[in-house]
Amino acid sequence: MIIKFLLITLLALLVVFVIWQKITSPAVRRTALIILAIGVYFVLQPDHANAVAHLVGVGRGADLLMYLWVVVTFSAVLVLYLKIVEMSRMLTELARRLALSEPISPPDRSKP
Amino acid sequence: MEMSSIPRLHLDDVYVVVAAYCEAGIITETVGSLVDCFRHVVVVDDGSPDATAERASRAGAVVLRHPFNLGQGAALQTGIAYALEQGARYVATFDADGQHAISDLKRILGVLKEDDLDIVLGSRFLGESTDLPRLRRIGLKAAVLFTRLTSGLRLTDTHNGLRAMTADAARKLKITQNRMAHASEIINGIACFRLRYREVPVTICYSEYSLSKGQKLTGSVNILVELLVGWLVR
Repeated sequence: MIIKFLLITLLALLVVFVIWQKITSPAVRRTALIILAIGVYFVLQPDHANAVAHLVGVGRGADLLMYLWVVVTFSAVLVLYLKIVEMSRMLTELARRLALSEPISPPDRSKP
Repeated sequence: MEMSSIPRLHLDDVYVVVAAYCEAGIITETVGSLVDCFRHVVVVDDGSPDATAERASRAGAVVLRHPFNLGQGAALQTGIAYALEQGARYVATFDADGQHAISDLKRILGVLKEDDLDIVLGSRFLGESTDLPRLRRIGLKAAVLFTRLTSGLRLTDTHNGLRAMTADAARKLKITQNRMAHASEIINGIACFRLRYREVPVTICYSEYSLSKGQKLTGSVNILVELLVGWLVR
């Protein structure tokens, strides 16, 4: 099937990327690889995904995946948002220190 | 001008903080009238691309420059931090767009010093505002009601840029709301730290210039959102 081929190719590319990049820590890399491996497995064996879904009371494997996807995405957005708020706080502090370190005095006025 | 009638001496322990963003058209006038009466005038240029900083400096103010635009709340806090660093006893805030009167600022400072208060706020609804547009009046009244509900303080004008406070009060009221929600933040701080406060009637001159720069009614929605986010991620 074409979809299986497409998904496996994409997952394989992600595996290569995860191994190749040096930004994340080994622990994160390992976790990502495990998740990708599970993905590959379920693409090859969609019936097993259905079985897992039935086990937790969801009709199809694809539906279970979508529910998990919503939860994960929402958490990721929240975490990113908090990070942005924290960063803008630090940026403000930085800009303030910069401004305070270089006050521009007025040119000498001939007033007493 | 009128500087001869008011002794300078009493005002030398005051730092007047002016937050300015793209006010090159009027900053010379505003700073000029301030330095006639006050020795310490601090303009915080909030990353303006125009000549605001240069003109403020030439007009006689100490200028602090944000490397990029952060918002009025952030600019005021930078100016206040500078004033405290320099050993100010009193800190006043004054809008850059020329809508406040120097005589009102002096009166506010007089009340602050003589009545031993922590902070004095200007109110346009206790005084007479020249030509306050109707829509803006409604928006400001809504803000007053909102503040009454959230802070419990019975104020008549919550978004007035003219205030004066003691160094102690300024130290407590650290502004973390970078943009426009700082006005509400200050008032919440007054309630939180139980500061001794008073409102004093001031006149706001709604010139064509200050109206073009002021907050639109839609700005209040943004302020609400900023406050909510501020509460959520404290």
